[in-house]
Amino acid sequence: MDYIVQQTLNALSFGAEYALIALGLAIVFSIMNLVNFAHGEVIAIGGYTMMVMATLAFKNPIIIILGAVLAAIIMALFLERIAFRPVRYADATTGLLTAFGVSLILQNLFLLLVSPRPIAVTSMYFLDWPIRLGPIQISSLQIFETLATLIAILLLVLFLKKSLLGIAMRAASLDFEMVRLMGIRANRVIAAAFAISGLLAGIAAIFIIARRGAVDPTLGFNPVLKAFVACVVGGFGSLPGAVLGGFLLGALEVGMLVLLPQSYGGMKDAFVFAIIAIILVWRPEGILSPPKEKGDKI
Amino acid sequence: MRIFQSIRSFKNAVWGASLLSILVAGIGLLVIVFGEKYHLRLVYAAYVNLLVVLGLQVFMGNTNITNLSHSAFMGLGAYVAAICVTPVTIKKLSLPDAPWGLNTFELDAFSSAIISLTITGFLAFLTGLIIVRLSGIGATIVTIAILVIVHSVFMHRTDIFKGKQAFFGIPQVFDLYSIIIISIGVIFVARFFRESKWGIQLRASSDDDTSASAMGVNIFNLRLFAWTLGGLILAMAGICYAYFLGTISARPFYFSHVFLTLAMLILGGMRSITGAVLGTIMITFGLEWVRFMETGPVLIGIKFPEMLGLSGITLGAVIVLIMVLRNGGLVGNFEIEQMFLKGRNVPKV
Repeated sequence: MDYIVQQTLNALSFGAEYALIALGLAIVFSIMNLVNFAHGEVIAIGGYTMMVMATLAFKNPIIIILGAVLAAIIMALFLERIAFRPVRYADATTGLLTAFGVSLILQNLFLLLVSPRPIAVTSMYFLDWPIRLGPIQISSLQIFETLATLIAILLLVLFLKKSLLGIAMRAASLDFEMVRLMGIRANRVIAAAFAISGLLAGIAAIFIIARRGAVDPTLGFNPVLKAFVACVVGGFGSLPGAVLGGFLLGALEVGMLVLLPQSYGGMKDAFVFAIIAIILVWRPEGILSPPKEKGDKI
Repeated sequence: MRIFQSIRSFKNAVWGASLLSILVAGIGLLVIVFGEKYHLRLVYAAYVNLLVVLGLQVFMGNTNITNLSHSAFMGLGAYVAAICVTPVTIKKLSLPDAPWGLNTFELDAFSSAIISLTITGFLAFLTGLIIVRLSGIGATIVTIAILVIVHSVFMHRTDIFKGKQAFFGIPQVFDLYSIIIISIGVIFVARFFRESKWGIQLRASSDDDTSASAMGVNIFNLRLFAWTLGGLILAMAGICYAYFLGTISARPFYFSHVFLTLAMLILGGMRSITGAVLGTIMITFGLEWVRFMETGPVLIGIKFPEMLGLSGITLGAVIVLIMVLRNGGLVGNFEIEQMFLKGRNVPKV
C-alpha cells in the first residue's frame, strides 16, 4: 500500500512536469497551428539565465527564479517576432520545420557561446529536501512541482475564461479571422500565447534545474520530446488534452520503472513510446481531440 | 493496369532521372579520377546521404508529412545486414552473448542485403500501419517516437547491437562504383514513383485530402506504400553504409543525422527529385567548408577562433531561411528535364 502511494506521488510529479511543458506547446498550437520544437530551448534559456545570475552573485533565490522566468518569456516573444511571424499563415509542416531549425540554431549557439559540457547550477537546490510522511519518503521538490503545475493550470483556466484576451485566445483557436474582425489585434493574441508558453517554460526550467543541478545545451530537448508525445496522445491543440497526456505519460513512465526488470531500465522510453503508439492506433486524433469539422473553416 | 497517367509523364521521368544520374555519376567519377584517398570516404558518405534523402523524399515529398524516423530505418538496415554478413569468428569476439544464435552463422553479402531489406521493409510496413492513420502533426510525433524507440533499443541491447561501442569486422563489399550505380537506380525508382499515378494521387491528397478522397483516391494505402518504399530505400542506404565503412555504431543514426538529411531535402525542395539531389550536393559541399571554419583556420593572415557548433547553426539557418523565404525549397516543383524540354512535353504548372 505504502509502495503504491509512493509511486503514485512519483507519477504525479513526473506528470506535472510534462503537463507544464505540454500546456506551453498546446497553447501555441491551438492558436497558430505551430508545433513549437524550439520550446525546449526556451527552457534552456531559463536554465542559462539562472547560471549567469548565480555567477553574478545574486544570492536571493526569488530574484533568480523571477529572472529565469522573465528571460524565458522574453525569449519566447523574441522567437515569435523574428522566426515564427513570417511563417504564421503557412501550413503546419512549414511551421514545424522552422521551429526545428530554430531549435537547432539555439542549441548550437549555446554550445558555441557557453559550453558543450553541463555547467553546475546549485541555486535551486534549496527547493529539494526529503520529507517523511509515515512510511512514505518523498522529496519536497515533487510537492512543489505538482502544486506549481496545479496552480498554473488554475490561473490559466481563470485567465482563459475571465479576461478579454483569454476569451479572444479561445475564440482564436476556433476561428482566428473572426476574432480579428471583432477588432482584436492578431499580434496581441499570438504574443499572449507565446508569453504564456514562455512563462510555463520558465517554471518548468526551475524544476528541471532543481532536479538536475546542471544546465547543458540539450536541457530542454528531451523533456519537450516527451511533452510532444503527451500533447499528441491527449489530442493536439486541446489544453485539457495536454494536461491529461502529461499525467498519463508520467504514470506510464513510473509504471515502466516499477514493472520492468533492472536490466531493461534503459529501455523505459522505448516501452513508453510503444504504448503511446498503441493508444494512437486506438484513437488516432488523441484522447481528447478537439472536434473537427471538415470544410467548415477555410 | 497502367502505372503512368500518360506516355508523356513516363518520358519526362526517364529524361529527368537520366539527367540527374549523369550529374550524380559525373561528380563521383571526377572524384574517383582526381580525388585523394580521404576524398573517397567523404564522397561515399555523401552518396549514402543522397540515398537517405531520396528515401525521405518518397514519403515526405509526396505526402507533405514530416518524417523524422528515417535515420532509424537506415540504422536498422545497416545493423541487420552487418549482423548477417560479419564472419562468425569476429562475431564470437564482438557479440559473445548474442541471443537466438546470431553469432553462429554468416551469409554472403547478397543474401544479407536481401534479409536486411526484408526485415526493415516489414518493420516499415508495420509502423506505417500506425503512421497512415494519423493526421500530419500526429504522424510526425509518432515518427519521433519510432526514432527514440529504435535508438534506445540500439543503445541498450548491447548483446546484439553493441550500443555505444562500434560493431566491427563487417567485410568491405562496396566501393564508390557500386554506390554510384545504386544511387542511379534509386533516383529512377524515386522519380518513377513521383510521376506514377500513385505519386500524383498522393501529391493531390497532400494538397487537399478531402477532395482527393472524394475523387476515389485511397489515401491510406498509397501512404502506406510510399512509407514502405521509403523504408526500403533507407534500408538500402544503411546497407551501403555498413558495407563500406566496416564498422557501425548507434550514435550516427540519431537526431544529428536526421537534421542533416532533413536540411538537405528541404533546401533543394522536397517535392522534386531534382531538389533532393541538388540539396544534397549543396549541403555536402557547403558543410565541408563550414567544418573547415569550425576548426579555427588561418585565412588571409587572420586567425579565426575555433567555433564548435557552427555546422549545426548553419544547418538550422538553412532550414529557417528556406522555410521563411521560399518554403517550397530552391526548385519547388521544378524537375531538371524542364530546362531542356521547354514548351514541349511539359505540363503547365
